[in-house]
Amino acid sequence: MPLRHPARTRRLLAATVGVVTFGLLMSACTATDSQEPVGDPNSGGTLTYASGDAEPSCLDPHVGGNFPQALVSAQYLESLVSRNTDGQIIPWLADSWTVSDDGLTWQFTLRDDVTFTDGTAFDAAAVQANIAHVQNPTTLSSTGYLALGKVTGTEALSPTVVRFTLSEPDSALLESLSQPWLAMESPAALERSQDENCASPVGTGPFIVQSWVKQNAIILVRNDDYVSPPADAGHSGPAYLDQVIWRFIPDSASRYAALQSGEVDVIDNAQPDTIVQATQSDSLEHLNSPRPGASNRIELNSGQAPFNDVRVREAFIRSANVDDAVSSLFQGTAIRSYSALSSVETTAISNANLFDYDPAAARKLLDAAGWTETDADGYRVKDGVRLSVRFPVSTNQSIPAEQSVFEQIQATAKETGFEVKLSPMDLSSWYAALASNDYDAVSAPYTKVGPDVLRILYHSDSIVPAPSGYFANHAQVNDPEIDELLTTAASTTDAALRTSLYADAQEHILEGFYILPLYDQQNHFLLRSDVVGLRTLPTVAVPTLYDAWLNR
Amino acid sequence: MRRTLGRITARLGGAVFVLWAVASVTFGALRLIPGDPAQAVLGGPGSQASPEALAAVNAEYGFGRPVLVQYFAQLGRLATGDLGRSYALNVDVGPLVLSQLGGTLLLAVLSLALAWLLALALATWSTRGGKIASRVGSSLEIVAAALPHFWFATSLIVVFSIWLGVLPPISTGGIAGLVLPVLTLAVPLAGFLGQIMRESLLIALESPFVLSARARGETERGVRWIHALRHASVPAISLSGWAFGSLISGAVVVETIFARPGLGRTLLTAVTLRDVPVVIGVVMIVAVAYILMTLLTDIASHLVDPRLRLT
Repeated sequence: MPLRHPARTRRLLAATVGVVTFGLLMSACTATDSQEPVGDPNSGGTLTYASGDAEPSCLDPHVGGNFPQALVSAQYLESLVSRNTDGQIIPWLADSWTVSDDGLTWQFTLRDDVTFTDGTAFDAAAVQANIAHVQNPTTLSSTGYLALGKVTGTEALSPTVVRFTLSEPDSALLESLSQPWLAMESPAALERSQDENCASPVGTGPFIVQSWVKQNAIILVRNDDYVSPPADAGHSGPAYLDQVIWRFIPDSASRYAALQSGEVDVIDNAQPDTIVQATQSDSLEHLNSPRPGASNRIELNSGQAPFNDVRVREAFIRSANVDDAVSSLFQGTAIRSYSALSSVETTAISNANLFDYDPAAARKLLDAAGWTETDADGYRVKDGVRLSVRFPVSTNQSIPAEQSVFEQIQATAKETGFEVKLSPMDLSSWYAALASNDYDAVSAPYTKVGPDVLRILYHSDSIVPAPSGYFANHAQVNDPEIDELLTTAASTTDAALRTSLYADAQEHILEGFYILPLYDQQNHFLLRSDVVGLRTLPTVAVPTLYDAWLNR
Repeated sequence: MRRTLGRITARLGGAVFVLWAVASVTFGALRLIPGDPAQAVLGGPGSQASPEALAAVNAEYGFGRPVLVQYFAQLGRLATGDLGRSYALNVDVGPLVLSQLGGTLLLAVLSLALAWLLALALATWSTRGGKIASRVGSSLEIVAAALPHFWFATSLIVVFSIWLGVLPPISTGGIAGLVLPVLTLAVPLAGFLGQIMRESLLIALESPFVLSARARGETERGVRWIHALRHASVPAISLSGWAFGSLISGAVVVETIFARPGLGRTLLTAVTLRDVPVVIGVVMIVAVAYILMTLLTDIASHLVDPRLRLT
């Protein structure tokens, strides 16, 4: 659930220690001090957004399909459905939908009043063109393409009704369609060359891509004819802002400095140190919105020694003092997770008892597993082999605080006799280390709407590498029972059954000690206090500037 | 005349050799990094390339061919002046690099100019006489020369953007946004140039020609500015060629921190994405700029130092 913390945490602090009157006093003061009571939204103005993510090479999220594309495209593209903070799928460009009893046919009724910003009508044929575009190999779609894996065809029953035909039932179809990587674009615009469409994709969203100066900024202007906010939006009609300048500031300290000095109004990828600073400032606010899908976790490679022994996996987990590392290095900005799934997923199961820090128990487990000797450096040895854990770390994917957490885990695991070998790597080398199975532990984020991410990460099918050598099941979980649970859950049309199957699967994964959950995938935004109404879409937690306005 | 011609030919040959070496080393270095370039082209964090997409990328860019074939294909294209097409940005490298060149050149030229001014000022002031001036001068130079760009840039942002609030911490397209980046690059370089200038100035001031100039009744100012400084600036001029190269590499840090568009940032992004054509394109352009700059410093040395004209 995206939470919006007021920058003045002393209010929260006061409440938690129970000094209610003090809390009331403070909130009364601060309300008059710095922030005038928020009145009716002002229209107009330019908001500058500074992203710490890489600049996309293509603004059409069908092509490739990564998070930087999702961030910006949410301002000008919209999907058939969305998701609310309770995890329920809600209408967006599709008004309603039905599924056949066998789960193989889905029928979507579309809004009939929506037009793309190039004047093309949004209708069943447009949906068909989009699905075809994503499934066309020359589009080079990765994320969207995978999400449509079971979709074999589409058919326009009328201008406002489109039917999807599936090869097998897909309980994750709606969640997949809610993702920005499957957003709807003007079919007329899609017919242009890929270069052209990458530079100025055309959607139905509240803003329009006006220009893109590479390495500098993307300029978005308001769509004055906008009519199609998702069902959970804060208002209707066009957006409040006239213009959005979307910039890229890769350095975390400069990004924060630009926010402090007022050069920019919103920044993403806020790091723990700047979040703590910002919460002490009256002119800044903090928006914490963990990403959906998997939690950030360390995956233990159960496919080879030493972690092919469940006792050694448990010993490693018991020997890692994660709580202290997270609370000191993330300075209270990240909450410890005990789940395979993000806390925003309503189907997530959490089991804190399995992850207690208990070095004594860890030593006993190692004894039982035959790692009984200890060498001169204090590491456990079995049959002349040292108990080593090769841990390639992707510096693109793990922020500095996370890399420090790994170092803390390395230090505490050493006390039990594990030699953790951390190797920081660039993305390509990291992929290569995984592909050649040169790892015992690894941590990789995975963003996806809904619990189907479990199937991608823990089904034995995902151990089989793609032609590139990439595979998603880094823990190499190969358990027929888990496979069965995940396969059944992916194809059931019964929501309650699906939830319970995913719960069982998660219990199995947690109790098998395949993973060491750390915290949700962090996704922090900082904004000027006079930016009002900014929220993130509960689908993949990208910010939407549709409801945002400037109180200046 | 013939000698000049020979010299020019040798220079040109040297330049071609440098460009070939630069292209080859860059190509080799990028190939040594493990991993599938196709995956790097397609796969950002959290995305998983489909087999079809990978096959398409491999076919389009020819990653499947033997490395030597790719190397000669690359060299062949470079020889005809074709820098190729970016894997990641999907645009031609030539126009891309040229569009980013201006910002970096401006940054480098301004930084070099400011570094010279600062170094001259410091060197002349600190050799004025007196132990204190000399000690303060040499300490300032050492400290300035040792400043790491990223640390100095962040400190400047903290002081001028956050505390004083007078200069923007990121590029704004105007002159104000240039001040901090130029300072970041100029101050460490000024320390370096200043050290060299001061030393040669001191040697020059002890030389017989200074004594004879004084004997002719030249004023102190004339001695320093006309005779000694001219002499002392020769090593600094020849170092400016090198300094220009180091400014371009400093631009990688500065452009990233100050979010400025430019070659440095293009290079960093391209290396991360293993975008070989862009990396080679940027490195080639920088090499050309470096060769030209060395030529210019040679000419400048000839103008300043009459002895070189006689040999």
